[in-house]
Amino acid sequence: MGGISGDTSSLPAYKAGSALRRMAALLLFCIGTNAHAQDASTDLLHDALHQLSQHTAVRAAFTQQRQNPALTQPQNSSGQLLFVTGKGMLWQVQQPYQETLALTGNQTLRIDANGHAQTVRSERGVSQISQMLQSMLAGQLDAVLRQFNVTAEGSATQWTLHFTPKQSRVAQVLRDIQLDGGAFLQGIRIDMQDGTQTDIRMTGTRDAGALSVPEKQALGLP
Amino acid sequence: MNSRGLWLRAGGFAAATLLIALFGAWLLFGRGRSPIQTDLLAMLPATERNPLAEVAAQRLAHANGDRVILLVANTDDDRAENAARELGHALGNDPVFASVTAELPPFDLQQLAAPYLSHRFVLLTDADRNAIEQPGYNPAQALAQHMNEPFVTGVGTRLQDDPFGWLQHWLDQQPWSRSPLVPEDNLLTAHRDGTSYVLVTATLNGSSYDDAIQQRALSAIDQAEKAIQHDQPGTRMLRTGALFYATAARAGAERDVHRVGWISTLGIGLLLLGIFRSPGPLLLAFLSTGVGIVAATTVSVLVFGQIYLLTLVFGAALLGEAVDYSIQYLSARANAGHAWEARTGLRQVRPALLLALGTSLLGYLLLGLVPFSALRQMACFAMTGMTVACLSVFWLLPALLQRPAKPISATSVRCALVLQNTVSRVASGWRGAALALFLLCLAIPGWYQLHHDDDVHLLVAPPAALAAQEAQIRDITGLGNGTQFYLVQGADEEQVLQREEALEQRLQDMVDAGRLQGWLGLAGMVPSLQRQHANQDALTPWFAEPDRMHQWLSSAGFRADDIERWVQAWPGTPLELQAWLKTPIATPFRYLWMGNGAASLVLPQGDAGSAWLQKAAAGLPGVTLVDKPASISDLFGRYRRYASVWLLAAILLIAPVFGWRYGLGDVPRVLAPPVLGIGFTLSMLGYLHQPLTLFHWMALMLVLGVGANYAVFLREGEPHVSHRPGAMYASVLLSAITALLSFGLLALSSMPALRDFGLTLLLGIGFTALLVPTSVPRRMLSS
Repeated sequence: MGGISGDTSSLPAYKAGSALRRMAALLLFCIGTNAHAQDASTDLLHDALHQLSQHTAVRAAFTQQRQNPALTQPQNSSGQLLFVTGKGMLWQVQQPYQETLALTGNQTLRIDANGHAQTVRSERGVSQISQMLQSMLAGQLDAVLRQFNVTAEGSATQWTLHFTPKQSRVAQVLRDIQLDGGAFLQGIRIDMQDGTQTDIRMTGTRDAGALSVPEKQALGLP
Repeated sequence: MNSRGLWLRAGGFAAATLLIALFGAWLLFGRGRSPIQTDLLAMLPATERNPLAEVAAQRLAHANGDRVILLVANTDDDRAENAARELGHALGNDPVFASVTAELPPFDLQQLAAPYLSHRFVLLTDADRNAIEQPGYNPAQALAQHMNEPFVTGVGTRLQDDPFGWLQHWLDQQPWSRSPLVPEDNLLTAHRDGTSYVLVTATLNGSSYDDAIQQRALSAIDQAEKAIQHDQPGTRMLRTGALFYATAARAGAERDVHRVGWISTLGIGLLLLGIFRSPGPLLLAFLSTGVGIVAATTVSVLVFGQIYLLTLVFGAALLGEAVDYSIQYLSARANAGHAWEARTGLRQVRPALLLALGTSLLGYLLLGLVPFSALRQMACFAMTGMTVACLSVFWLLPALLQRPAKPISATSVRCALVLQNTVSRVASGWRGAALALFLLCLAIPGWYQLHHDDDVHLLVAPPAALAAQEAQIRDITGLGNGTQFYLVQGADEEQVLQREEALEQRLQDMVDAGRLQGWLGLAGMVPSLQRQHANQDALTPWFAEPDRMHQWLSSAGFRADDIERWVQAWPGTPLELQAWLKTPIATPFRYLWMGNGAASLVLPQGDAGSAWLQKAAAGLPGVTLVDKPASISDLFGRYRRYASVWLLAAILLIAPVFGWRYGLGDVPRVLAPPVLGIGFTLSMLGYLHQPLTLFHWMALMLVLGVGANYAVFLREGEPHVSHRPGAMYASVLLSAITALLSFGLLALSSMPALRDFGLTLLLGIGFTALLVPTSVPRRMLSS
């Protein structure tokens, strides 16, 4: 009674698109991990990742600026973020509106004022990208190196990492991702082929200390 | 009739046999496609009460049945990809595959959203619709949230086409966006635990159950596997598809037929040689059965168009019953010694043979009445085989057996006599009654422990390695199993889609509760018009005053001409099912729509139990869960109950025949051996904790058939061997041992169904043969 059903014949090129945004999220995660970069990476990449991996939970204030060719003015938002290695990130927007998002490996939740979570996007066991994310969070750089060419420049105290997509389908959409920092990550820049540019700056980065109960809850921690 | 007459008749019979054999050979091998049916499902009758469900099940089986799914695995990415490409090329060059998909065609991501733009105001996710319908919905903030959402890349729709991201969200939840496989270097790839898996699918240029296709496809795949393993070291290949199951089933059954066939042939040969002490009788016994089998195969193919594998296996076992006729004739000859005269001998055994044949035919006729084509074919096979084997004893053997033979080996006769006397002494009078009572008491706990289990998985156990590979492939690719699905019917398309939406709501709840991985249905891709109107209605208030909308968008930074274009696009057009089905993106999902009438399929994905799936459909009008394995199990259960009633009916039918021949008073005596044999067998099965299945009961049918024969042979033959006590029982034992050698060996089969069958026969025939001396009253015994 063997038999398998499903749509394999024309599986989705579109996939790459929705996968992409997770990839961007992934990158943010990966830099905080205890990664061992291999072959393709340089000593600097190792150093940068090593520095980041010293901190398992960090807090920072962020400002995000997004420029979209369809818009006459850039979009600005700012707030606080909490990043926990292996678990995910709380992205708390304070300006121009109030919103808390919990980005974990396989889904994005919106946390309302009462602490109730509502699914914004669910990556439903699926994706491989989320598995990639999980493996990254577990300290494997392979998954990112599979999708991106990574180059590093600068010094151990002030470095910049460039990620350019290897997959042509992804490259059709994503131009590159750039991370910079020193002891902590300081900025993320994402350039899309359609001209959209997102620039995230982090300031006041510090070790997170103890997490509050709502924070733990939102990230699914015990 | 003189000797010349005998020869003439034998000649005629031989000529007819030859013609039938030639015809049968042509039917089997002369027409290209082998009529041997290995698809176990094909021998089942329609299981669904709903005829459309049956059509749907067949369509799904075919859509999946002719497809081969291969997963190339390697810990090294490049090697996995190269191996998959090489595999794709190798298989693509082989004409046995109609199509092979390894590399995807080039694809423009941005093109995907384009066809949906005119429907963007009628396609909303549940989350978006709920949010918009909230009293406090603030479009300005929603806009800001969407534009500032972290790590959103805006792939799929352009921001100016979809400022709020509604269409984007909707596209995100489409099945093609949710597959665990992602395109990498134009290959569908998954990564798990440090291993890369690349999907390659191929469609056979024919049926998975076609012998020739099977062999060519399998050798092509094996060859390609070896090549990629050589070229890309460390590569593994996982495979699944009906092709592999069918091939394994065929190989298993062929192995069984060969093993059982050879061992039983050898065993019976040695036995006959030992007893008759000359090779002639041996050859004649095989000749007679062979003729029966050839005729039975020919007639079965002629009547049914094809022959089920199971029938062939059953047929191999039937050898044991058909050989009895010639054994009786040969024993009569051996026992007659120098006084042998072929025609007199024939007259002597004829009543016994006719009576035995008659009861067998009666039994199998009853089996043929069961509306289950596999059972019918077995009945047809058995009836033809028995009749022809019996006729060969009447018409062919006498001409070949005109000279007297050596008597049966004295040792075997002595042994039989000792056994016969012991049994008949112990089983007579008050001692017999007490013993019978004791045995019954012993049997009762066994009966008490009897239970049954009709789960089809118990009967058809696929090779563990294949099942494990399929499970792994399903786990990695997220593909469904194809044997459980919902059929949604309605008066028209709209009603079907609405009913699907009701079902999918429940399935989604199961997904949220972690009971189901997901589901695949058309309403998720083309909502009902009702749902589309509801979506539009939710948006209507915000478009009621276009100036306000202009205001929000322009303060968010959108350009005036973009805003104008977007607002002008409202309200757009609904997405029509039929139009959508014609688009390229619908290609892999078209089979979900049943062309005839208004009906569609919804496939649950993941391993939710039947009970949960059933619950999801409960109370929903027009929604039926089609659960093929469960239906088949049900069907087996039904036939198991039929078979037990049949057994009782057959006993009741044979009783008057025996009454007519032996007198009413002797009926219990003649019926006792097979009936008690069956009773003790059931008790033993109870003690062995074997759950009863249809196949146990089918075996008991045979036990009744041969058991009654033994009683008849002994009863009819005893008066003719008064000069050689024990000789008749020796010939019956010979029959029994040949039957055990042929049937009983099925207990070694790799198929659980046949194992059950063999074990039951082993026990049943063993008990019956032991009990059979009681069918002859002591006063008649020649000792």
